[in-house]
Amino acid sequence: MRRLWRYLQGMHLRAAAMILVAVGNAACQTGGWLLVRSAIDGGIAKRDTRYLTVIVAIYLAVAAAGWFLQAILIRGLAGIGQRMVLGLRRDLFDHLTGLSLRYFSQQKAGWIIARLTSDVDAVSDVLSQGMPTLVSSVVLLPSAVAALLIADWRLGLVVFAIVPPAIVLTRWFTHVSHVALVETRNRIAAVTAQIAESVAGMAVVQAFNRERAFQAQFDELNAANRVQSIYTQKIFSIFFPSIELLGVTATCAVLFTGEKLLAHGAVSIGTLITALYLLQLVFQPLQDLSDVYGQLQSGAAAMVKIAAILDEEPTIESAPDARPLPRIDGDLDIDRVVFAYGEEPVLRGISIHVPAGGCLALVGESGHGKSTLARLVGRFYDPDEGAVRVDGVDLRTVELRSYRRTLGVVLQDPFLFSGTIASNIRFAKPEASDEEVAEVAAAVGVDRVAARLSGGLDHEVREGGSGLSAGERQLISIARALLADPRILILDEATSNIDRPTEVLIERALDRLLAGRTSIIIAHRLSTVRRADEIVVIERGRVAQRGGERELLAQDGPFRRLAHALEAA
Amino acid sequence: MPEFANPVDPPDIGLLPTFRRLLRLWWGERRLGFVGLAFALAYTLISTTIPLLMQQAIDHAIVRRSQALWPYLLLILALGSVRFLVNFLRRYATARIGIRIEARMREMLYSAYLRYPRAFYDRHATGQVLSRATNDLYPIRYFIGWGLVQGMQSVMMIVGASVVLVVVDARLALYTAIAMPPITVLALRFARRVSPISREVQERKGDVTEAADEAVVGIEMVQAFGREDDVRERFGGKATAVRDTVLRQAGVEARHLPGLYYLPALSIAAVVYFGGRQVIGGHLSIGQFVLFETLLLQLVWPLEALGWITNLAQRALASAGRSFAWLEGIEPLPEPAEPRHLPEGPLPVRYEAVRFAYGGEVDVLRDLDLAVDAGEIVAVCGPTGSGKTSLLDLLPRFYDPTGGRVLVGGVDTRDVRIQELRGAVALVTQRPVLFSALLRENLTAGREDADWDDVLAACEAAGVDAFVDELPNGYDTLIGERGINLSGGQRQRVALARALVTGARVVVLDDPLSSVDTLTERRLVRRLRPALAGRTVLVATQRLSTVEIADRAVVLVDGRVVESGRPADLLRAGGTFAALFGEEAAA
Repeated sequence: MRRLWRYLQGMHLRAAAMILVAVGNAACQTGGWLLVRSAIDGGIAKRDTRYLTVIVAIYLAVAAAGWFLQAILIRGLAGIGQRMVLGLRRDLFDHLTGLSLRYFSQQKAGWIIARLTSDVDAVSDVLSQGMPTLVSSVVLLPSAVAALLIADWRLGLVVFAIVPPAIVLTRWFTHVSHVALVETRNRIAAVTAQIAESVAGMAVVQAFNRERAFQAQFDELNAANRVQSIYTQKIFSIFFPSIELLGVTATCAVLFTGEKLLAHGAVSIGTLITALYLLQLVFQPLQDLSDVYGQLQSGAAAMVKIAAILDEEPTIESAPDARPLPRIDGDLDIDRVVFAYGEEPVLRGISIHVPAGGCLALVGESGHGKSTLARLVGRFYDPDEGAVRVDGVDLRTVELRSYRRTLGVVLQDPFLFSGTIASNIRFAKPEASDEEVAEVAAAVGVDRVAARLSGGLDHEVREGGSGLSAGERQLISIARALLADPRILILDEATSNIDRPTEVLIERALDRLLAGRTSIIIAHRLSTVRRADEIVVIERGRVAQRGGERELLAQDGPFRRLAHALEAA
Repeated sequence: MPEFANPVDPPDIGLLPTFRRLLRLWWGERRLGFVGLAFALAYTLISTTIPLLMQQAIDHAIVRRSQALWPYLLLILALGSVRFLVNFLRRYATARIGIRIEARMREMLYSAYLRYPRAFYDRHATGQVLSRATNDLYPIRYFIGWGLVQGMQSVMMIVGASVVLVVVDARLALYTAIAMPPITVLALRFARRVSPISREVQERKGDVTEAADEAVVGIEMVQAFGREDDVRERFGGKATAVRDTVLRQAGVEARHLPGLYYLPALSIAAVVYFGGRQVIGGHLSIGQFVLFETLLLQLVWPLEALGWITNLAQRALASAGRSFAWLEGIEPLPEPAEPRHLPEGPLPVRYEAVRFAYGGEVDVLRDLDLAVDAGEIVAVCGPTGSGKTSLLDLLPRFYDPTGGRVLVGGVDTRDVRIQELRGAVALVTQRPVLFSALLRENLTAGREDADWDDVLAACEAAGVDAFVDELPNGYDTLIGERGINLSGGQRQRVALARALVTGARVVVLDDPLSSVDTLTERRLVRRLRPALAGRTVLVATQRLSTVEIADRAVVLVDGRVVESGRPADLLRAGGTFAALFGEEAAA
């Protein structure tokens, strides 16, 4: 929670002002009833209509002032709270996008997103809805007690007989309802997850006739949620009537005590009546606080989880003395690189040199380190040992983003952002003109894909590109990389879902548009690999073989086995 | 373009018909409903009696001291205790109705989802389908579980209190009611204004979620192109929009809530002023004075509640209208009136002059003819976007053709019960879908009673055995969203094994090995052939190595079969097939 105070910076004065406003508001609420007492005792009892008129006028003025102050309080606290929330949310997001891929590969996407959304929302609820209630209640409760004591200290003491059971009741309620609400949230989350999974995988559910089994699972979760919700409602159904009952008891206690005092002439009838209503002002903040208490607890829990992300140190960042990279030639030197995700090294001392403008193909079985090596070149990870250098400069010493802007990366299962096909191509270079976009689209054959879709290049892409086939998404992401005009191009199985003639089209476009650029290709097809200047076979994190295609085929090595496997087809 | 009724996107149902349907659901819970109503009436009676007793107590026992106080206090306490019980039972009963109806509607929607055709899921985003069965149901639950009876109770309360006030002093009642109309107006106006804004807040929060989701899922692309600042700006913009909307909401609250809180002061002032003069004149007792104040304060909440309830009713009816539209307007795939059975033994497959288009778009398949013999393995090849997936999706009847027919075992797929057809056709989709369950359960999803040796054999054929030992608990490892993540190639192999386990006589494979590396693929292809023996197989693929599994290849171009024959012959023939794979074969 202390982190949150940081975001209050520059607003301390406003916050202090709001507390004053809250005090004023509470004074108006309680003061109004004290005025009613004066009206009864000084006006009605003494049969003084002028006095009565004056007091009623003052009473109305006080109410108007209270109205005004409360409006300021609601708006003002929301302003402070939301500024804090915005600061927190932006900081969290900025921090996250700066974390390395290693972090994202360790955490589930859904988990991270929940921190940015539902957790920040929980904090926001506390600050914008909870805060006004909290501040007013915390101020109002003592004010009401004070007003009661001012009205008559003996009647005021009745409060101290009623408040302890009220507090016990409220504490019991906040505790039990909190536990119940947490459980309810878990149950509904399970129901939601079940529906989400079924909807996302409906094709398979239906294809395998799994409807009945899924229905049965759902019914069980749905029933559990129903039972739990009903239990939670039961607790709520007990609490509010209980408070009502306590209120009646308090009223009786005041009437009882008041009658005795009145008989001795110790209090006036006005004081007695006023005490009845001031007592209600004591109960109201208690009820409100019990509402806020739950919010506070979830807010605090959310803040703990948010802090866990904010405390995460970015493992890959620009060194303090990092230099922006000038326009590079693209000479790439991978020097005795060792790398492990966990304990087991994935790369065990790999050295490869690609001259500027060269084309390197990496081949080998999955899981032997090809993609990892490509990611080291993109500096998504830093090597544990050895170095990756571009134009002789160690990547760890260059300004990260200036380097990445010289890269073009295409992955096997490319991610498309929501928006149009054109906006996805433009992603890497937002300032590109429509002509440039159309040109690269045509160069790699996206235009043919777009022609079949309504709106052409302005066709809206749905959630992660789900309306498009795997091959079509790959085409779009290749266009995206081409438009970025990279100095180094990384194609990680970028054409695996694309038919060979289209791939040839793409290769020609690459040759034309990226002449003289350095490229790294990871591919399964031998025909794709063939155009590389050098082919490197990676086996268990080491270079098993390297050379040109002919050269490698001539040797009795892993490459020939690979090629034979294909020829056997 | 003229509007036409989309069979998977029916228009919402109107307010009145929706209300009738909700009432019908309520009628199903009528016992609890009537309990709630009866207790609401009892609550109103007690709540107007208690102030009356207080008045009597003040006048007779406190001011005039002509009676003892304690019998009054005891009576008030007794009534207070009864009211506690009545109020509890009223709340509990009505809340239960709301929750039960919510659960019932969710169940109806979910079981409808399971029956909806693919076209429905092509049309509606996952989030929308999900929220209709979760968040959208809450207004319905609160309206039925709280609003309906609370509204009636409010009306009873207003009537009861008014009657008492008028009976005591009609003129004073008129004066002191001064604050009630503005409270009602303000409450209604507040409810009307705040709900579109709070809905907007939800929408803006949804935008934030979407932006966060994209940035997190697409983080590699964002970082790869160094576009962090762009997404930060975009996210910051959405977060700022949330703040602005929340502040606007606070503005509306600031303009209305203090009014609701302080307007009763107007009535109190009227009681004190006019009532006070009446007391001075001797026309009103001090107890009656207190009665007026108490009852007026008791009226504030019911009046405010009416504002909330009208608003809640609108939202509940709107969202129920959308749900009922789906429940009643969307037809599942029609089952045959007189179902035929598939013949015994291996099943041939036949496409006859099949045309197909996704709702409203251009034809993807155009008069396509294709016959596959029983037990034959046919590779479906063709450039990206030529209709391969659409062709395969017709077999398990995800869609019905828009023209022509699809025959399995000589029977039109539309003449077989869907369950029987899908039991005979196993499918591996392009993007494999696995469920959050044990690997073992995923494998047997298509046939729960499968013999474990058969499962192991399928795993061997599909190459699952190669990586299962590396999983923490072998076949008992939890996979999927809540468990460990398998790589794309591993997921494909599990999906393949799952299809083999079913023992289906027709197997449909949509690029089943695209994420598997070439060497593994070679090994799998060799092992798959015997595993598929005797089954009729259609396999779509971009790779020659996968084509090798097939007896015959057909080439699709623009929704038609343009070539058909043995792969080796097609390569020699030098047509489209050779253009697709020639280079690979020459390697």
